[in-house]
Amino acid sequence: MKDLLRLKTSLNEEIENILNAQIKVEAHSSSVYLAMSSWCDDQGYDFSSDFFTKQSEEERKHMMKLFNYVNDRGGKAISPEIVNVPTDFESFRSVFEQMLEQEMYVTQQFNHIAEKCIKLKDFVTFQFIQWFLEEQIEEEYVARRILEMFDVIGEEGTGRWEIDKHIPKVSYEG
Amino acid sequence: MVCPLANFEEVYRTDHGAVYQCSRQNCYWLEFAGDTTAFRVSDFFSFKKKIDAIDVSAMIIDPSRTADFTILMPFRTPRCFVLDINDVLNLRELLNGAKFMIELNSVINACLKTTPSRVAKL
Repeated sequence: MKDLLRLKTSLNEEIENILNAQIKVEAHSSSVYLAMSSWCDDQGYDFSSDFFTKQSEEERKHMMKLFNYVNDRGGKAISPEIVNVPTDFESFRSVFEQMLEQEMYVTQQFNHIAEKCIKLKDFVTFQFIQWFLEEQIEEEYVARRILEMFDVIGEEGTGRWEIDKHIPKVSYEG
Repeated sequence: MVCPLANFEEVYRTDHGAVYQCSRQNCYWLEFAGDTTAFRVSDFFSFKKKIDAIDVSAMIIDPSRTADFTILMPFRTPRCFVLDINDVLNLRELLNGAKFMIELNSVINACLKTTPSRVAKL
């Protein structure tokens, strides 16, 4: 019998579902970072606000990369509904702690996708997500380095102003 | 009524209906409750997801008369499905079986394409 299913899509249903779930995670990250940007701006941390705006745009690009991949492989990418985006944060430091937690969660999700790809022998998707796994090294590094600045510089006096000023300089050389 | 030009192969059948594949039009035909409906491949699987998403427990618990039926009007079909709880369960059984057979057909096709005899011919 003619294989209509594979004529339509090269993606296994499980892989399509897990990628759509990841699209939602990336979209949620983008929204959370935008909320963080707004909070930082409100609190007077201009450099951090810009930093989170860029992070938000980057997460959106990640989302679109996954979105286009699902469609390009014959699947059906789902535009996600985003809920539970925070509007307030406890402190300047807690914003970056949440950022690190968010990035660690994303890494965990990509590891899970990689595991599923190997299990289902989808090496094309496995190859595709290598880019995201490498990207996560940078994301986690940057969040950790910023958190370390809170200890190195200290928050007392003009500490937070100093930390904010140094945020754009944190980069991963690889 | 089924398209007279269709080139049919039965995918799966139960006591309540059947799913056929038309390899000429690249579509599936669903025979259920005395009528037949053609679905494109992606529409067929979307329709299955909608049927799977029906909350049968809520239909049973809800005492209102309107809760006894679910109405589905899949896009790109002329059909309106008015389903009671039995219909939903019967349709699920049929679609689950059809999906399994469609996926099995894919696996068999993939295996046949990688057998040594075929590779030797290439």
